[in-house]
Amino acid sequence: MLSRVAENLYWFGRYLQRAENTARLINVNANLMLDLPRRMTLGWGTLIEIVGSTPRFQSLYDQASEENVVRYLMTDERNPASIRSSLHTAREILRTVRDTMPRETWERVNDVYFYVLERGDNSIARAPRQAFLQQAVSGTLLIYGVLTSNMSRDVGFQFLRIGTNIEQADMTTRILDVRTYALLGVQPGADLSPFESIQWMSVLRSLTAYQMYRRHVRMRVNGPGVLRFLLQNREFPRSVMFCLSSVASTLPALPGNRKIERAIERTRALVRDANLDVQLTADGHLPQLMDEIQIGLGELHDALAETYFSSGN
Amino acid sequence: MAFDWSQYRCAGLHDEMFSAPDVPRPSARALLAYLRSMSPKELADRRLAADLAIKVMGITFTVYSEGKNVDRAWPFDLLPRVISKTEWERTERGLKQRVNALNQFIQDLYGDQKIIKDKVVPAEVLDDSVNFRPQCVGVKPKFGVWAHICGSDLVRDGDGTLYVLEDNLRVPSGVSYMLENRAVTKRVWPEIFETTTILPVDDYPAQLYDTLAALSPRPGDTPNVVLLTPGIYNSAYFEHAYLAQQMGIELVEGSDLFVDNDDCVYMRTIYGPKRVDVIYRRIDDLFIDPEAFRPDSILGCKGLMRAWIRGKVGLANAPGAGVADDKVIYAFVPQMIKYYLGEDPILPNVPSYLCMDEKQRNYVLANLDKLVVKPANESGGYGMLIGPRASNEEREKFRELITKNPRNYMAQPTLSLSTGPTITDDGIEPRHLDLRPFILSRGESTYVTTGGLTRVALVKGSLVVNSSQGGGSKDTWVVDLDEDPEPLVAATQAAKSQSQSQSQTSVPAGVKGVG
Repeated sequence: MLSRVAENLYWFGRYLQRAENTARLINVNANLMLDLPRRMTLGWGTLIEIVGSTPRFQSLYDQASEENVVRYLMTDERNPASIRSSLHTAREILRTVRDTMPRETWERVNDVYFYVLERGDNSIARAPRQAFLQQAVSGTLLIYGVLTSNMSRDVGFQFLRIGTNIEQADMTTRILDVRTYALLGVQPGADLSPFESIQWMSVLRSLTAYQMYRRHVRMRVNGPGVLRFLLQNREFPRSVMFCLSSVASTLPALPGNRKIERAIERTRALVRDANLDVQLTADGHLPQLMDEIQIGLGELHDALAETYFSSGN
Repeated sequence: MAFDWSQYRCAGLHDEMFSAPDVPRPSARALLAYLRSMSPKELADRRLAADLAIKVMGITFTVYSEGKNVDRAWPFDLLPRVISKTEWERTERGLKQRVNALNQFIQDLYGDQKIIKDKVVPAEVLDDSVNFRPQCVGVKPKFGVWAHICGSDLVRDGDGTLYVLEDNLRVPSGVSYMLENRAVTKRVWPEIFETTTILPVDDYPAQLYDTLAALSPRPGDTPNVVLLTPGIYNSAYFEHAYLAQQMGIELVEGSDLFVDNDDCVYMRTIYGPKRVDVIYRRIDDLFIDPEAFRPDSILGCKGLMRAWIRGKVGLANAPGAGVADDKVIYAFVPQMIKYYLGEDPILPNVPSYLCMDEKQRNYVLANLDKLVVKPANESGGYGMLIGPRASNEEREKFRELITKNPRNYMAQPTLSLSTGPTITDDGIEPRHLDLRPFILSRGESTYVTTGGLTRVALVKGSLVVNSSQGGGSKDTWVVDLDEDPEPLVAATQAAKSQSQSQSQTSVPAGVKGVG
């Protein structure tokens, strides 16, 4: 497999996952805003922080109003991580590697991309937005469906998996980082006020984890429980640990990679050994922990790039 | 109600399906009988089925405009063009002969230049050739073959003569559409294949692979063959991806390759560098190596020429092969065939007047209103004068251009291009067409595609067959009548000669370019 093709498949996975996560994020935030009282101004700016795009957003818009943030994340071409831009990039990448994937992939990517292109600008307002985002999510899920059921488990598929999983781990830590900031300092185990409970639930919902959490954890939603579930759970596909293990499971199919193995192992140890009960107390260091995981993911990316994407240099 | 074929107006034209109105040629008789049984509704349904097949199969060509590349569905006409096996066998022999002579000519030019010393081809033709590459002088590629893949354009005049209009020796394209057209036809008209012996075309990718693999500098091992593409913005990208996939070889871009200190070419893979043995390059000469040619090229790979000259990698087509892909040199191909092979050309050239020769130039200048004037080195139909359709100012402009730079111009009489029935919104009408067969040369043997790519000008009266300019294509059938299960009725000779004498519409030769 050519290095360029491997890199393209990796980024295709990342952009697809990014489009889907962004769509979910907007939707959940909108629902949360409906439940919170007016005085709790959690606001839409949080979403910009989550995707790490504050400087660019501020250079383009005066204020983080609902309309501005939604437009920026959904359809703004100037935001390289908007749903539209992510799908556009994924599609442009796919052009160059079309022959490595089932033909249907191309058709399904076109379906969702052209849908976003046609409907996006008229779907900023609350009423049409939900249906639009739902369609965007379904569209991307359909692409995964085509890939998982029709694509050979060759090396190309492994690079796709690595891309989607690193992107998901990245997004999960970002959501935890920003969303939990407002909720820090609450005694673990203490009954949360109704609104705090709603916010923890929205953290789970951003990652479609609410239902699975209830099934696995079997107790009411609280901070440490949510953190543990989204970081350490080995069965939920959007937890950081699950994503890292998925990446690790691809390695036997790929050539020599000590550096990558070490990067994964370090980050896995970090996540596994974190004492999450104290993270939410006054002694906790949750933001630092998230930063360290993010750095670990960055190192993993660098190791991949060095080993596979630029070989022969 | 079936379409009334007696209403098909092909009188005065040389039609590929009819020898006279309502008199089908023997090779097309079975097809026509089948078509006659079909109602317009059925025909429209098949047309829809073809459009759908093209969409589903993802057969596209790329048009680059306004900074974006747009994939357009491949324009395809459902009614095939039929050629009899007997005629094709002769054409095939003619093409092999021609390409053989062309390859010897290229080798001679980069070697002793005997043909020039013997004054068969004048020296000034070479001096002013923009496609002559001094970097290639003294090189002798494997088997002495330079143009491994050649696409020659054939046109038929009103009197039925099949002429060679030009030879594309650089990076000829279109063969993937020849293959896909057949795949679509099989989906849409499966019944016809039961009653007619249509010779298959599917062998091409395997033949091409063998041609390429034979160029490997490391015989014995399974060679690593790659296809080098300029990338997705190239209009032929679909074809590059298609051929790579059909041959099971890697589709690479310039940045995937590098030449190491050992002068070998490597590609960057996730397993580390992997030696490349043969490159089927679909990038023009001037862009393949910034070290040897244009230093600003980002499409190619630095050091490729060095590797090729040292014999570390096979290149198809060889750099410099385009020297014979020149409208002035074209005029000398019949002499070349005589000179190198001692044979008479089987396929004629379109008569050509070279402006570098004083007598011929005077003739051209006196007949600018009747001739088509072509610059020597343009392709795609650019920079051409179509005498009968040009304004006075345009003709005067060309008079000046020719006088200033006679070597760069040649002229040809206007031909009456043959037609084929084509489905239009108003029914079935004749449209002008040409044919591009592909010839693979590997020294000991030569392979010619069965038929080739028929391109058709979809606009009424138009001669432009380029897909980017309203041209379409047809499946091309070489039909073996001897194996036809249906007994044949003798051709009506009278009707045939009548149609030929009626040929009146005079249209310029070759108002078209490389697709």
